[in-house]
Amino acid sequence: MALLEIKDVTSGYGDVQILWGASLSLEKGKLTCLVGGNGVGKTTLLRTVMGLIRPWSGVILFDGKEVNKLSAYTKAEMGLVLVPEGRQLFTDMTVHENLEMGATNQRARPNFQRNLERVYEMFPRLKERSRQKAGTLSGGEQQMLAVARGIMAEPLILIIDELSLGLAPVLVLQLFEGLKLLRQEGITILLVEQNVQLALTISDYGYVLAEGKVKMEGPARKLIKDKHVRSTYLGL
Amino acid sequence: MQQLNLLLTSLPDGLLLGFVYGLAAMGLTLIWGVMNVINLSHGPIITLGMFSTFFIYTRLGLNPYIGVLPIALVGLLLGILIYTAAVHRVINGPHLSSLLATFSVNMIIIGLGTAALTTSPYNVDFSAGSFKLGNATILGTRIIAAIVTLAFTGGLYLFLYRTRPGKFIRAVANNRAAAELMGVPSTRILALSFGIGTMLAAVAGGLIATFFPFSILSGSGYELKSFVIGVLGGLGNPIGALFGGLILGILEGIIPAFIESSWVPVIEFVLFIFILLVRPSGLFGAKK
Repeated sequence: MALLEIKDVTSGYGDVQILWGASLSLEKGKLTCLVGGNGVGKTTLLRTVMGLIRPWSGVILFDGKEVNKLSAYTKAEMGLVLVPEGRQLFTDMTVHENLEMGATNQRARPNFQRNLERVYEMFPRLKERSRQKAGTLSGGEQQMLAVARGIMAEPLILIIDELSLGLAPVLVLQLFEGLKLLRQEGITILLVEQNVQLALTISDYGYVLAEGKVKMEGPARKLIKDKHVRSTYLGL
Repeated sequence: MQQLNLLLTSLPDGLLLGFVYGLAAMGLTLIWGVMNVINLSHGPIITLGMFSTFFIYTRLGLNPYIGVLPIALVGLLLGILIYTAAVHRVINGPHLSSLLATFSVNMIIIGLGTAALTTSPYNVDFSAGSFKLGNATILGTRIIAAIVTLAFTGGLYLFLYRTRPGKFIRAVANNRAAAELMGVPSTRILALSFGIGTMLAAVAGGLIATFFPFSILSGSGYELKSFVIGVLGGLGNPIGALFGGLILGILEGIIPAFIESSWVPVIEFVLFIFILLVRPSGLFGAKK
Protein backbone atom coordinates (compact mmCIF):
# COMPACT_ATOMS: atom_id res chain seq x y z
CA MET A 1 0.00 0.00 0.00
CA ALA A 2 1.16 3.50 -0.73
CA LEU A 3 2.26 5.36 2.39
CA LEU A 4 1.96 8.73 0.72
CA GLU A 5 -0.33 9.41 -2.16
CA ILE A 6 -0.54 12.64 -4.09
CA LYS A 7 -3.44 12.91 -6.53
CA ASP A 8 -3.85 15.65 -9.12
CA VAL A 9 -2.36 18.35 -6.95
CA THR A 10 -2.29 21.90 -8.25
CA SER A 11 -0.59 24.70 -6.41
CA GLY A 12 1.55 27.82 -6.77
CA TYR A 13 2.35 31.21 -5.31
CA GLY A 14 -0.16 34.07 -5.47
CA ASP A 15 -1.59 34.07 -8.99
CA VAL A 16 1.22 32.01 -10.43
CA GLN A 17 0.33 28.38 -10.90
CA ILE A 18 3.32 26.04 -10.76
CA LEU A 19 1.83 22.58 -10.38
CA TRP A 20 -0.72 21.49 -12.97
CA GLY A 21 -2.07 18.25 -11.57
CA ALA A 22 0.85 16.24 -10.23
CA SER A 23 0.25 12.69 -9.04
CA LEU A 24 2.65 10.32 -7.39
CA SER A 25 2.69 7.68 -4.71
CA LEU A 26 5.36 6.38 -2.38
CA GLU A 27 5.41 2.69 -1.60
CA LYS A 28 6.27 1.83 1.97
CA GLY A 29 9.93 0.98 2.46
CA LYS A 30 10.94 2.00 -1.04
CA LEU A 31 13.30 4.63 -2.28
CA THR A 32 11.48 6.78 -4.80
CA CYS A 33 12.99 9.64 -6.71
CA LEU A 34 11.47 12.69 -8.29
CA VAL A 35 13.66 14.12 -11.00
CA GLY A 36 13.44 16.96 -13.44
CA GLY A 37 15.27 20.07 -14.56
CA ASN A 38 15.43 23.41 -12.88
CA GLY A 39 12.13 25.21 -12.35
CA VAL A 40 9.75 22.37 -13.18
CA GLY A 41 8.05 22.53 -9.77
CA LYS A 42 9.96 19.97 -7.71
CA THR A 43 10.45 22.21 -4.71
CA THR A 44 6.91 23.59 -4.99
CA LEU A 45 5.58 20.05 -4.91
CA LEU A 46 7.60 19.35 -1.76
CA ARG A 47 6.45 22.55 -0.10
CA THR A 48 2.86 21.62 -0.88
CA VAL A 49 3.26 18.10 0.43
CA MET A 50 4.88 19.40 3.63
CA GLY A 51 2.16 21.98 4.21
CA LEU A 52 4.37 25.03 3.81
CA ILE A 53 1.95 26.08 1.08
CA ARG A 54 -1.62 24.81 0.58
CA PRO A 55 -2.67 22.75 -2.43
CA TRP A 56 -5.20 24.58 -4.61
CA SER A 57 -6.87 21.34 -5.58
CA GLY A 58 -6.22 17.63 -5.42
CA VAL A 59 -5.64 15.31 -2.49
CA ILE A 60 -2.66 14.37 -0.36
CA LEU A 61 -3.10 11.13 1.56
CA PHE A 62 -0.69 10.06 4.28
CA ASP A 63 -1.25 6.50 5.44
CA GLY A 64 -4.72 6.69 3.91
CA LYS A 65 -5.75 9.92 5.70
CA GLU A 66 -6.21 13.25 3.97
CA VAL A 67 -3.59 15.73 5.17
CA ASN A 68 -4.14 18.61 2.71
CA LYS A 69 -4.55 21.28 5.35
CA LEU A 70 -2.22 20.16 8.10
CA SER A 71 0.78 22.33 8.98
CA ALA A 72 4.38 21.28 8.47
CA TYR A 73 4.65 20.98 12.24
CA THR A 74 1.77 18.52 12.50
CA LYS A 75 3.12 16.53 9.59
CA ALA A 76 6.52 16.32 11.25
CA GLU A 77 4.75 14.94 14.33
CA MET A 78 3.11 12.32 12.10
CA GLY A 79 6.45 11.26 10.64
CA LEU A 80 6.67 13.18 7.38
CA VAL A 81 10.10 14.79 7.58
CA LEU A 82 11.78 17.13 5.13
CA VAL A 83 15.52 17.60 4.72
CA PRO A 84 15.31 21.00 3.07
CA GLU A 85 17.29 22.27 0.12
CA GLY A 86 20.31 24.29 1.19
CA ARG A 87 20.53 22.25 4.42
CA GLN A 88 19.11 24.98 6.67
CA LEU A 89 21.28 23.96 9.61
CA PHE A 90 21.55 25.83 12.88
CA THR A 91 25.02 27.06 12.00
CA ASP A 92 25.72 28.70 15.38
CA MET A 93 24.85 25.53 17.28
CA THR A 94 26.93 22.41 17.68
CA VAL A 95 26.47 19.25 15.65
CA HIS A 96 25.02 17.56 18.71
CA GLU A 97 22.59 20.43 19.34
CA ASN A 98 21.45 20.30 15.71
CA LEU A 99 20.65 16.64 16.21
CA GLU A 100 18.80 17.46 19.43
CA MET A 101 16.68 20.02 17.56
CA GLY A 102 15.92 17.38 14.94
CA ALA A 103 14.38 15.24 17.67
CA THR A 104 11.90 17.91 18.77
CA ASN A 105 8.66 16.11 17.94
CA GLN A 106 6.91 13.94 20.53
CA ARG A 107 7.46 10.66 18.71
CA ALA A 108 11.19 11.24 18.37
CA ARG A 109 12.03 12.44 21.89
CA PRO A 110 11.88 9.11 23.72
CA ASN A 111 14.09 7.50 21.05
CA PHE A 112 16.72 10.21 21.07
CA GLN A 113 19.57 8.06 22.34
CA ARG A 114 18.90 5.18 19.97
CA ASN A 115 18.62 7.50 16.96
CA LEU A 116 21.75 9.36 17.99
CA GLU A 117 23.74 6.13 18.01
CA ARG A 118 22.21 5.24 14.67
CA VAL A 119 23.26 8.46 12.93
CA TYR A 120 26.71 8.47 14.51
CA GLU A 121 27.20 4.94 13.25
CA MET A 122 26.04 5.97 9.80
CA PHE A 123 28.16 9.12 9.75
CA PRO A 124 31.19 8.65 12.02
CA ARG A 125 32.51 12.04 10.90
CA LEU A 126 29.65 13.71 12.72
CA LYS A 127 30.50 11.90 15.92
CA GLU A 128 34.08 13.14 15.72
CA ARG A 129 32.78 16.67 15.30
CA SER A 130 29.81 16.52 17.65
CA ARG A 131 30.96 19.50 19.71
CA GLN A 132 31.87 21.63 16.70
CA LYS A 133 29.58 24.35 15.42
CA ALA A 134 27.63 23.23 12.37
CA GLY A 135 28.73 26.33 10.45
CA THR A 136 32.36 25.21 10.64
CA LEU A 137 31.73 21.87 8.89
CA SER A 138 32.62 21.24 5.26
CA GLY A 139 29.84 21.17 2.67
CA GLY A 140 29.68 17.38 2.65
CA GLU A 141 29.62 17.14 6.43
CA GLN A 142 26.88 19.75 6.54
CA GLN A 143 24.77 17.70 4.17
CA MET A 144 25.40 14.61 6.31
CA LEU A 145 24.23 16.60 9.31
CA ALA A 146 21.10 17.75 7.48
CA VAL A 147 20.21 14.14 6.67
CA ALA A 148 21.15 13.00 10.18
CA ARG A 149 18.96 15.70 11.70
CA GLY A 150 16.11 14.42 9.55
CA ILE A 151 16.66 10.87 10.81
CA MET A 152 16.59 12.13 14.41
CA ALA A 153 12.96 13.14 13.80
CA GLU A 154 12.06 9.43 13.58
CA PRO A 155 10.65 9.70 10.07
CA LEU A 156 8.24 7.29 8.46
CA ILE A 157 8.89 9.17 5.25
CA LEU A 158 12.09 11.09 4.73
CA ILE A 159 11.94 13.63 1.93
CA ILE A 160 15.31 14.91 0.78
CA ASP A 161 15.52 17.96 -1.44
CA GLU A 162 18.65 18.17 -3.61
CA LEU A 163 20.95 15.89 -1.70
CA SER A 164 23.77 16.11 -4.23
CA LEU A 165 23.73 19.84 -4.91
CA GLY A 166 27.22 21.34 -4.70
CA LEU A 167 28.87 18.19 -3.41
CA ALA A 168 31.84 16.29 -4.79
CA PRO A 169 30.80 12.97 -6.44
CA VAL A 170 32.64 10.87 -3.86
CA LEU A 171 30.65 12.51 -1.06
CA VAL A 172 27.41 12.05 -2.94
CA LEU A 173 28.11 8.32 -3.27
CA GLN A 174 28.82 8.13 0.44
CA LEU A 175 25.51 9.82 1.25
CA PHE A 176 23.67 7.55 -1.15
CA GLU A 177 25.13 4.53 0.67
CA GLY A 178 23.61 6.03 3.83
CA LEU A 179 20.21 6.22 2.13
CA LYS A 180 20.39 2.56 1.20
CA LEU A 181 20.96 1.72 4.87
CA LEU A 182 17.92 3.77 5.82
CA ARG A 183 15.78 1.97 3.29
CA GLN A 184 16.95 -1.34 4.74
CA GLU A 185 15.66 -0.15 8.08
CA GLY A 186 12.25 0.34 6.53
CA ILE A 187 12.19 4.10 6.12
CA THR A 188 10.36 5.29 3.04
CA ILE A 189 12.42 7.83 1.15
CA LEU A 190 11.58 10.41 -1.48
CA LEU A 191 14.68 11.78 -3.12
CA VAL A 192 14.27 14.94 -5.14
CA GLU A 193 17.18 15.47 -7.47
CA GLN A 194 18.45 17.43 -10.41
CA ASN A 195 21.15 14.84 -10.83
CA VAL A 196 18.95 12.43 -12.76
CA GLN A 197 21.54 9.76 -13.44
CA LEU A 198 22.60 9.39 -9.80
CA ALA A 199 19.06 9.46 -8.47
CA LEU A 200 17.80 6.80 -10.88
CA THR A 201 20.81 4.60 -10.16
CA ILE A 202 19.94 4.06 -6.52
CA SER A 203 16.13 4.41 -6.55
CA ASP A 204 13.50 1.71 -6.79
CA TYR A 205 11.00 3.85 -8.63
CA GLY A 206 11.19 7.18 -10.39
CA TYR A 207 9.01 10.07 -11.47
CA VAL A 208 10.00 12.64 -14.05
CA LEU A 209 8.45 16.03 -13.48
CA ALA A 210 8.16 18.61 -16.27
CA GLU A 211 6.03 21.75 -16.54
CA GLY A 212 4.28 21.06 -13.26
CA LYS A 213 3.14 17.56 -14.17
CA VAL A 214 4.49 14.06 -13.96
CA LYS A 215 5.64 13.33 -17.51
CA MET A 216 6.90 9.79 -16.98
CA GLU A 217 7.10 7.23 -14.23
CA GLY A 218 8.29 3.70 -13.77
CA PRO A 219 10.83 1.43 -12.12
CA ALA A 220 14.09 3.38 -11.96
CA ARG A 221 16.14 0.84 -13.89
CA LYS A 222 13.66 1.04 -16.75
CA LEU A 223 13.58 4.82 -16.76
CA ILE A 224 17.34 5.03 -16.92
CA LYS A 225 17.26 3.03 -20.15
CA ASP A 226 14.43 5.02 -21.64
CA LYS A 227 15.34 6.85 -24.83
CA HIS A 228 13.52 10.06 -23.98
CA VAL A 229 14.99 10.23 -20.48
CA ARG A 230 18.45 9.53 -21.81
CA SER A 231 18.31 12.22 -24.45
CA THR A 232 16.55 14.87 -22.36
CA TYR A 233 18.11 14.45 -18.94
CA LEU A 234 21.24 12.42 -19.33
CA GLY A 235 22.54 14.02 -22.49
CA LEU A 236 23.15 10.64 -24.07
CA MET B 1 48.19 63.49 41.28
CA GLN B 2 44.87 64.88 42.28
CA GLN B 3 43.43 63.52 39.05
CA LEU B 4 44.85 60.11 39.79
CA ASN B 5 43.20 60.14 43.18
CA LEU B 6 39.93 61.15 41.63
CA LEU B 7 40.35 58.38 39.07
CA LEU B 8 40.97 55.78 41.74
CA THR B 9 37.90 56.88 43.65
CA SER B 10 35.53 56.96 40.70
CA LEU B 11 36.79 53.97 38.75
CA PRO B 12 35.39 51.20 41.02
CA ASP B 13 32.11 53.05 41.14
CA GLY B 14 31.90 53.18 37.37
CA LEU B 15 32.92 49.56 36.99
CA LEU B 16 30.21 48.35 39.35
CA LEU B 17 27.66 50.57 37.63
CA GLY B 18 28.76 48.95 34.37
CA PHE B 19 27.45 45.57 35.51
CA VAL B 20 23.93 46.92 35.73
CA TYR B 21 24.22 48.74 32.42
CA GLY B 22 25.30 45.42 30.96
CA LEU B 23 22.28 43.65 32.45
CA ALA B 24 19.88 46.14 30.87
CA ALA B 25 21.65 45.95 27.51
CA MET B 26 21.55 42.16 27.63
CA GLY B 27 17.77 42.39 27.47
CA LEU B 28 17.82 44.68 24.44
CA THR B 29 20.41 42.67 22.58
CA LEU B 30 18.74 39.32 23.28
CA ILE B 31 15.50 40.49 21.69
CA TRP B 32 17.38 41.85 18.68
CA GLY B 33 19.38 38.65 18.35
CA VAL B 34 16.36 36.36 18.42
CA MET B 35 13.84 38.28 16.34
CA ASN B 36 15.58 41.32 14.77
CA VAL B 37 13.31 43.68 16.65
CA ILE B 38 14.65 46.83 18.27
CA ASN B 39 12.60 47.15 21.40
CA LEU B 40 11.85 50.85 21.83
CA SER B 41 9.85 50.09 24.97
CA HIS B 42 13.11 49.04 26.62
CA GLY B 43 13.53 52.36 28.47
CA PRO B 44 10.09 52.52 30.09
CA ILE B 45 10.46 48.88 31.18
CA ILE B 46 13.64 49.90 32.98
CA THR B 47 11.66 52.72 34.58
CA LEU B 48 8.92 50.33 35.66
CA GLY B 49 11.62 48.27 37.39
CA MET B 50 12.77 51.43 39.18
CA PHE B 51 9.29 52.28 40.42
CA SER B 52 8.71 48.70 41.50
CA THR B 53 11.72 48.96 43.78
CA PHE B 54 10.43 52.32 45.00
CA PHE B 55 7.07 50.87 45.98
CA ILE B 56 8.52 47.77 47.54
CA TYR B 57 10.90 49.83 49.67
CA THR B 58 8.96 53.00 50.40
CA ARG B 59 5.37 51.81 50.47
CA LEU B 60 5.71 48.23 51.64
CA GLY B 61 8.73 48.95 53.79
CA LEU B 62 10.56 45.84 52.56
CA ASN B 63 14.22 45.38 51.67
CA PRO B 64 14.46 46.41 48.00
CA TYR B 65 16.31 43.21 47.07
CA ILE B 66 13.29 41.14 48.07
CA GLY B 67 11.79 42.75 44.98
CA VAL B 68 14.27 41.30 42.51
CA LEU B 69 12.46 38.04 41.88
CA PRO B 70 8.92 39.46 41.74
CA ILE B 71 10.17 42.22 39.43
CA ALA B 72 11.79 39.58 37.23
CA LEU B 73 8.56 37.60 37.08
CA VAL B 74 6.40 40.64 36.33
CA GLY B 75 8.95 41.79 33.71
CA LEU B 76 8.78 38.38 32.06
CA LEU B 77 4.99 38.35 31.94
CA LEU B 78 4.82 41.97 30.79
CA GLY B 79 7.20 41.16 27.95
CA ILE B 80 5.12 38.17 26.87
CA LEU B 81 2.07 40.43 26.93
CA ILE B 82 3.79 43.15 24.87
CA TYR B 83 4.99 40.58 22.37
CA THR B 84 1.55 39.02 22.00
CA ALA B 85 -0.35 42.30 21.81
CA ALA B 86 1.99 44.53 19.83
CA VAL B 87 4.92 42.72 18.26
CA HIS B 88 3.71 39.36 16.98
CA ARG B 89 1.51 40.68 14.19
CA VAL B 90 4.32 42.76 12.72
CA ILE B 91 7.16 40.30 13.36
CA ASN B 92 7.49 39.42 9.67
CA GLY B 93 6.91 42.98 8.47
CA PRO B 94 9.56 45.59 7.74
CA HIS B 95 11.70 46.82 10.64
CA LEU B 96 9.80 50.10 10.72
CA SER B 97 6.60 48.29 11.74
CA SER B 98 8.11 46.70 14.82
CA LEU B 99 9.93 49.94 15.67
CA LEU B 100 6.63 51.80 15.60
CA ALA B 101 4.84 49.06 17.51
CA THR B 102 7.36 49.04 20.36
CA PHE B 103 7.53 52.85 20.26
CA SER B 104 3.77 52.91 20.78
CA VAL B 105 4.14 50.68 23.81
CA ASN B 106 6.83 53.09 24.99
CA MET B 107 4.41 56.03 24.68
CA ILE B 108 1.60 54.14 26.40
CA ILE B 109 3.75 53.25 29.41
CA ILE B 110 5.15 56.78 29.69
CA GLY B 111 1.68 58.29 29.32
CA LEU B 112 0.12 56.06 31.96
CA GLY B 113 3.15 56.55 34.20
CA THR B 114 3.01 60.32 33.90
CA ALA B 115 -0.68 60.33 34.73
CA ALA B 116 -0.16 58.19 37.79
CA LEU B 117 3.23 59.35 39.05
CA THR B 118 3.83 62.74 37.38
CA THR B 119 7.27 63.42 35.96
CA SER B 120 8.79 64.58 39.24
CA PRO B 121 11.80 62.71 40.61
CA TYR B 122 11.60 59.83 43.06
CA ASN B 123 14.31 58.44 45.24
CA VAL B 124 14.95 55.15 47.02
CA ASP B 125 16.80 56.21 50.11
CA PHE B 126 18.28 52.84 50.91
CA SER B 127 21.77 52.08 52.12
CA ALA B 128 23.48 48.70 52.20
CA GLY B 129 26.54 50.12 53.93
CA SER B 130 29.88 50.90 52.37
CA PHE B 131 33.54 50.19 52.80
CA LYS B 132 36.84 51.83 51.95
CA LEU B 133 39.11 50.55 49.25
CA GLY B 134 42.15 52.83 49.26
CA ASN B 135 40.67 56.24 48.75
CA ALA B 136 37.52 54.94 47.17
CA THR B 137 34.28 54.37 49.01
CA ILE B 138 32.50 51.33 47.67
CA LEU B 139 28.75 51.32 48.19
CA GLY B 140 27.07 48.11 49.27
CA THR B 141 24.17 48.68 46.90
CA ARG B 142 26.54 48.61 43.95
CA ILE B 143 28.25 45.44 45.12
CA ILE B 144 24.89 43.71 45.52
CA ALA B 145 23.75 44.97 42.11
CA ALA B 146 26.89 43.55 40.50
CA ILE B 147 26.32 40.20 42.20
CA VAL B 148 22.68 40.10 41.10
CA THR B 149 23.81 40.90 37.55
CA LEU B 150 26.33 38.09 37.56
CA ALA B 151 23.68 35.72 38.87
CA PHE B 152 21.28 36.68 36.09
CA THR B 153 24.01 36.46 33.45
CA GLY B 154 25.03 33.03 34.65
CA GLY B 155 21.39 31.98 34.80
CA LEU B 156 20.75 33.25 31.29
CA TYR B 157 23.79 31.44 29.95
CA LEU B 158 22.78 28.15 31.57
CA PHE B 159 19.23 28.60 30.35
CA LEU B 160 20.29 29.24 26.74
CA TYR B 161 22.89 26.47 26.57
CA ARG B 162 21.62 23.78 28.90
CA THR B 163 17.83 23.69 28.73
CA ARG B 164 15.50 22.68 25.97
CA PRO B 165 13.55 25.97 25.79
CA GLY B 166 16.88 27.84 25.84
CA LYS B 167 18.17 25.79 22.93
CA PHE B 168 14.89 26.43 21.12
CA ILE B 169 15.52 30.17 21.57
CA ARG B 170 18.97 29.82 20.01
CA ALA B 171 17.59 27.68 17.20
CA VAL B 172 14.85 30.21 16.40
CA ALA B 173 17.44 33.01 16.52
CA ASN B 174 19.69 31.09 14.17
CA ASN B 175 17.17 29.86 11.58
CA ARG B 176 13.51 30.32 12.35
CA ALA B 177 12.20 28.52 9.24
CA ALA B 178 14.27 25.44 10.02
CA ALA B 179 13.22 25.50 13.67
CA GLU B 180 9.56 25.55 12.62
CA LEU B 181 10.17 22.65 10.29
CA MET B 182 11.57 20.65 13.24
CA GLY B 183 8.37 21.38 15.15
CA VAL B 184 9.74 24.09 17.46
CA PRO B 185 6.73 26.20 18.55
CA SER B 186 8.27 29.41 17.26
CA THR B 187 5.54 31.83 18.35
CA ARG B 188 5.80 30.72 21.96
CA ILE B 189 9.58 30.82 21.80
CA LEU B 190 9.56 34.37 20.41
CA ALA B 191 7.17 35.50 23.15
CA LEU B 192 9.38 33.86 25.77
CA SER B 193 12.49 35.56 24.36
CA PHE B 194 10.81 38.94 24.40
CA GLY B 195 9.72 38.25 27.99
CA ILE B 196 13.26 37.39 29.06
CA GLY B 197 14.55 40.55 27.36
CA THR B 198 12.11 42.75 29.25
CA MET B 199 12.74 40.80 32.45
CA LEU B 200 16.43 41.71 32.31
CA ALA B 201 15.59 45.36 31.64
CA ALA B 202 13.13 45.48 34.55
CA VAL B 203 15.59 43.88 36.98
CA ALA B 204 18.31 46.31 35.88
CA GLY B 205 15.91 49.19 36.51
CA GLY B 206 15.08 47.80 39.92
CA LEU B 207 18.78 47.77 40.81
CA ILE B 208 19.57 51.23 39.38
CA ALA B 209 16.78 52.68 41.54
CA THR B 210 19.02 52.18 44.57
CA PHE B 211 21.78 54.29 42.96
CA PHE B 212 20.21 57.45 41.54
CA PRO B 213 16.98 59.44 41.74
CA PHE B 214 14.67 58.80 38.82
CA SER B 215 11.43 59.88 37.17
CA ILE B 216 9.07 58.18 34.73
CA LEU B 217 11.18 59.66 31.93
CA SER B 218 14.54 58.32 33.16
CA GLY B 219 14.37 55.14 31.14
CA SER B 220 15.21 56.72 27.81
CA GLY B 221 18.73 57.64 28.96
CA TYR B 222 19.40 54.06 29.96
CA GLU B 223 17.83 52.82 26.75
CA LEU B 224 20.34 54.85 24.76
CA LYS B 225 23.18 53.49 26.87
CA SER B 226 21.86 50.01 26.10
CA PHE B 227 22.15 50.75 22.40
CA VAL B 228 25.76 51.87 22.79
CA ILE B 229 26.56 48.80 24.90
CA GLY B 230 24.72 46.48 22.55
CA VAL B 231 26.76 47.68 19.60
CA LEU B 232 29.95 47.65 21.64
CA GLY B 233 29.41 44.06 22.71
CA GLY B 234 28.02 42.91 19.36
CA LEU B 235 24.26 43.11 18.80
CA GLY B 236 22.60 39.82 19.54
CA ASN B 237 25.37 38.66 21.84
CA PRO B 238 24.12 38.77 25.47
CA ILE B 239 27.46 37.88 27.04
CA GLY B 240 29.16 40.57 24.92
CA ALA B 241 26.63 43.01 26.36
CA LEU B 242 27.93 42.41 29.87
CA PHE B 243 31.47 43.28 28.75
CA GLY B 244 30.14 46.26 26.80
CA GLY B 245 28.41 47.43 29.96
CA LEU B 246 31.62 47.15 31.95
CA ILE B 247 33.49 49.18 29.33
CA LEU B 248 30.85 51.89 29.40
CA GLY B 249 30.83 51.89 33.20
CA ILE B 250 34.62 52.23 33.32
CA LEU B 251 34.45 55.13 30.85
CA GLU B 252 31.90 56.81 33.06
CA GLY B 253 34.30 56.30 35.94
CA ILE B 254 37.34 57.64 34.11
CA ILE B 255 36.03 60.55 32.03
CA PRO B 256 34.89 62.80 34.90
CA ALA B 257 38.40 62.61 36.36
CA PHE B 258 39.70 64.54 33.37
CA ILE B 259 36.91 66.67 31.97
CA GLU B 260 33.46 67.85 32.93
CA SER B 261 30.99 65.02 33.30
CA SER B 262 28.67 66.68 30.78
CA TRP B 263 31.13 65.37 28.19
CA VAL B 264 30.31 61.77 29.11
CA PRO B 265 27.43 61.31 26.65
CA VAL B 266 29.40 63.09 23.92
CA ILE B 267 32.28 60.69 24.27
CA GLU B 268 29.98 57.67 24.60
CA PHE B 269 28.15 58.42 21.41
CA VAL B 270 31.29 59.32 19.49
CA LEU B 271 32.51 55.88 20.53
CA PHE B 272 29.19 54.42 19.36
CA ILE B 273 29.60 55.90 15.88
CA PHE B 274 33.26 54.96 15.80
CA ILE B 275 32.47 51.31 16.57
CA LEU B 276 29.74 51.29 13.92
CA LEU B 277 32.24 52.61 11.41
CA VAL B 278 35.26 50.46 12.11
CA ARG B 279 33.85 47.34 13.72
CA PRO B 280 30.10 47.10 13.20
CA SER B 281 30.00 43.56 14.60
CA GLY B 282 31.14 44.92 17.98
CA LEU B 283 34.16 44.01 20.03
CA PHE B 284 32.88 40.54 20.91
CA GLY B 285 31.17 39.52 17.69
CA ALA B 286 27.56 40.06 16.65
CA LYS B 287 24.96 37.62 15.51
CA LYS B 288 25.21 37.40 11.72
